[in-house]
Amino acid sequence: MSTTWRALGEIVVAAVQVIVTGVGGLVLVGLMRKVRARVEGRVGAPILQPLRDVRKLMRKERLRPQFATWIFPLAPVVFVATVSVAAVMAPLVTSRPALGSGADLFVIVYLLLLGSTILALAGLDAGTAFGGMGSSRAVTIGALAEPALLVTILALSISAHSSNFPSIIRATFVDPGVIISPARLFALAALLIVIVAESGRLPVDNPVTHLELTMIHEAMILEYTGPDLALVTLGEAMRLALLLGVFVNLILPWGIASSMSVPALALGVVVLSAKVVAVAVVLGFVEVFLAKVRLFRLPELLAGAFVLALLGVVSGVVAK
Amino acid sequence: MLWVILLVPVVCAAPSGLVSWRRATGWAGVASASIVLVAGIVLAVHVVHGPAAVGYGGVLRADALSSFMVIVIGVIALLATLQGVRYLEAEIAAGRCTPRHASLYAVLIQGFLASMLLAVLAANLGVMWVAIEATTIVTTFLVGHRNTRGSLEASWKYIVICSVGIALAFLGTVLVYLASLHASGHGSGALNWTSLVAQSHYLSPGVVRLAFALIVLGFGTKVGLAPMHSWLPDAHSQAPAPVSALMSGVLLTVAFYAILRFKVIADGALGPQFARTLLVIVSLLSLVVAASLLLGQRDYKRMLAYHSVEHMGLIALGAAAGSTLAIAAVLLHILGHGIAKGVLFLASGEILLVEGTSEIKDVRSLLNRRPVLGGIFAFGLVALLGFPPFSLFVSELNMLRAEFRVGLGWAAGLSLVCMAVIFGAVMSHGREMLFGPKGSDAPALTPALVAVPLIGGLVACAFIGVSVWPLGSLLHAAAHVVAL
Amino acid sequence: MNHSAYTSVLGLSCGVIVLCAVVVLWRRSLRAIVRALAVQGMALALVALTLGLHGHDDGLVVVAVLVLVAKGAVVPTLITRIVRHDVASRETQPLVNVPASLVAAGVLIFLAFAASRSITALASSASGRLIPYGMAAMLIGFFALATRRKAVSQIVGLLLVDNGIALVAFLATAGVPLIVELGASLDVLLIVVVLQVLATQMRLRLGSVDLDQLAELHD
Repeated sequence: MSTTWRALGEIVVAAVQVIVTGVGGLVLVGLMRKVRARVEGRVGAPILQPLRDVRKLMRKERLRPQFATWIFPLAPVVFVATVSVAAVMAPLVTSRPALGSGADLFVIVYLLLLGSTILALAGLDAGTAFGGMGSSRAVTIGALAEPALLVTILALSISAHSSNFPSIIRATFVDPGVIISPARLFALAALLIVIVAESGRLPVDNPVTHLELTMIHEAMILEYTGPDLALVTLGEAMRLALLLGVFVNLILPWGIASSMSVPALALGVVVLSAKVVAVAVVLGFVEVFLAKVRLFRLPELLAGAFVLALLGVVSGVVAK
Repeated sequence: MLWVILLVPVVCAAPSGLVSWRRATGWAGVASASIVLVAGIVLAVHVVHGPAAVGYGGVLRADALSSFMVIVIGVIALLATLQGVRYLEAEIAAGRCTPRHASLYAVLIQGFLASMLLAVLAANLGVMWVAIEATTIVTTFLVGHRNTRGSLEASWKYIVICSVGIALAFLGTVLVYLASLHASGHGSGALNWTSLVAQSHYLSPGVVRLAFALIVLGFGTKVGLAPMHSWLPDAHSQAPAPVSALMSGVLLTVAFYAILRFKVIADGALGPQFARTLLVIVSLLSLVVAASLLLGQRDYKRMLAYHSVEHMGLIALGAAAGSTLAIAAVLLHILGHGIAKGVLFLASGEILLVEGTSEIKDVRSLLNRRPVLGGIFAFGLVALLGFPPFSLFVSELNMLRAEFRVGLGWAAGLSLVCMAVIFGAVMSHGREMLFGPKGSDAPALTPALVAVPLIGGLVACAFIGVSVWPLGSLLHAAAHVVAL
Repeated sequence: MNHSAYTSVLGLSCGVIVLCAVVVLWRRSLRAIVRALAVQGMALALVALTLGLHGHDDGLVVVAVLVLVAKGAVVPTLITRIVRHDVASRETQPLVNVPASLVAAGVLIFLAFAASRSITALASSASGRLIPYGMAAMLIGFFALATRRKAVSQIVGLLLVDNGIALVAFLATAGVPLIVELGASLDVLLIVVVLQVLATQMRLRLGSVDLDQLAELHD
């Protein structure tokens, strides 16, 4: 009996996390656009606009390029699926998420990577010049960010003696001083740079540009229309929300639900939203003042993230 | 009363500091060098048969090695300051230097002497480091004294490279301090050389190994050992001749003295093999670099500078051997090389003054046109190349003997090959400068102020080569301080 | 001073010092580099201050103030003054490109930790375990010195080496005898003063001079 209740509870928690990530992600995108607009002196689109955009896109006609194969329609589905699974596993609302024992940081990272890879393949599959160009640029960034990401995970897991993500969060509760330790600070700095790179925000990639010279992510998904585009937009927003939620919980894990009771979960949702909104506002504000880094200077930025993560590892080893 | 020696240059710098340059203030500088030389001899007599003299609350200490170095400093400083008078007069007469600037030179030279004396008389390794640091800063201004494009570039390069070396040497000193703290447990006296030597067996070997490597790299930069030698040709060729003589003749060896002091500690903590290997490597590198670069030299002052690199390599090889004979030969070589190189640099300064060029190919038939100067130059080269009766012959021979005895025969052989190459190169360059068609002009005379001290120096070098008598027991006692 | 606060402040400052060294390799604009050096000087002063307060050593506190003034304020100002007239020096020109330099910095950090094992074995206190940070900063400074073409970048590398060595000196022994510590802390100041004087001389004698045009002396 209790096991069925447990299983039911886990499904509910999983669903909550996915819905929060999905809806919250879209709201987040709208919020960042609004903040940017306000700082620039414009009124800007309403915060809930991305939700309406997705709904609108679902009703539009689906077009496919002439030479696309089965990868093209499959990619958005796989993309959203991988991000959702990652959202289920990550400790966002609760520190004991469903599938928690398998929620290794490496698994989460590689799930996200799987999604990006499929999308890059789809960009190539479209058979247009822009698609290929966008895919190659996106994959380059991914390849450069990956070593930094892996070393960051190493740095984060040293103090907790495990790379299981929920354990890392729980270990922070045990010893709050670890948050200001040099190891964690360096790792978080590196993580921030990598998150910016992976989610395609300034200064790595401009999410609203459609100029050939500056498109990276947008070029990959240029050929998508209708429901496919809706899924891709949803997936991107979920990825952004997931990454920001992960980042925020590594800095300030308090407020996260440690049990499966309804009030705790509700509190968890509220606190998570508050934290992520705060980070998103700051990010949106800072983005206004950043210029996009030139493409051939990106290796410098990401190599710097790599060394920061390395410093984090080294500090973590020394502090033992 | 040891600190009095340090006060002498300071006192003699005062007139130059207060008034603009005159001949009299130049002579004050000469007086300071002579007093230092006399003091060094007195000190040597005092310590050679007795215990080391300690002064100024234990900060200063003079054993046989220190007093020998004071003598070396005194002799070459005497030669250099005598020539300095001539050099400054000529520069002021040619309008290249104001009297104000000349008095700055005089003050700096005395500061240079004072810091070198502090370095060799320090009992505390930290004070020794500070003194050598001070020499770097003072000599930077001296190297750039002529204010030409080349000399400014040379002084920039000099200070950047030597500062890095000094910083490394500081790290080595700190590591030795750390090791000593952990061996003895208390801080006072932890950098005192005698107490470090006494407890050298208890020092942690890993730390001492790292420290000594840093010392060789760091102070080795100031000695001019390859691969840290790149500042040497520029600095020694662009500096005014008396400064080059002092730097090439003494400063390099004062830095090597610092390495020797640390070597005693390293040998106590690690056994002789580590220091030996390290010194052999740098010495062979220096010899090879000097040999390969001497062949194509076009500037005679740069040629002399590279020749210093070679001799520093030889000294390092002798120190690597480490036996009493080897160290005594090294010390004799330090004195002989200092005198001969000093004489040569001063003579080349005179040549630069009268010929106006420092290129080898532009100076011809020196022996015919200026017999005295050419003769001094010729005999100086002969002395440096290790011919008898000059003392370098004796010291090089004994260094080779000691190296063979200790098992470094292969290194000695290699050094002989390099020396042969250098021999050929220097002979050919010298021949270009000294011989040539007899011109129509009558031979010019060299002023006595220039000629007499230089000839005196060469005669002293020969005298020491023939009979080591005045220095024998001092060399023996000094070698005992450092030898294995 | 509370022990855990002491260790965290110390650890953080040492981390910042190495981070500034990495930033010197990372950024191209000279202004950012000089700012990183200033921050590094301040972190070094903080290390000395913490050690002095924890060990009740007043001499070290005095040295900390001196280091703050000298390395945190005066030296960066002097460097900016050296290049004020020299527009060409405002961007660095590395021989090794930036990503490769950063990877090399990572390798050097590991090398420093490996090479310092005998030292950390000896000095096993909380401060002693941070010595490899100083060695890492020193090695990164060496790398910067060797792979930068502009003369000003060489000065920056020299300062990095010096700061790294000063950090090792502070941590290893909580201060070598005061006179030596003063000599070491002030020598950097003296050197930069000398360099500034040289640069002024060059400007006076040879016109506005790009330090990198001076390449006459060679074999």
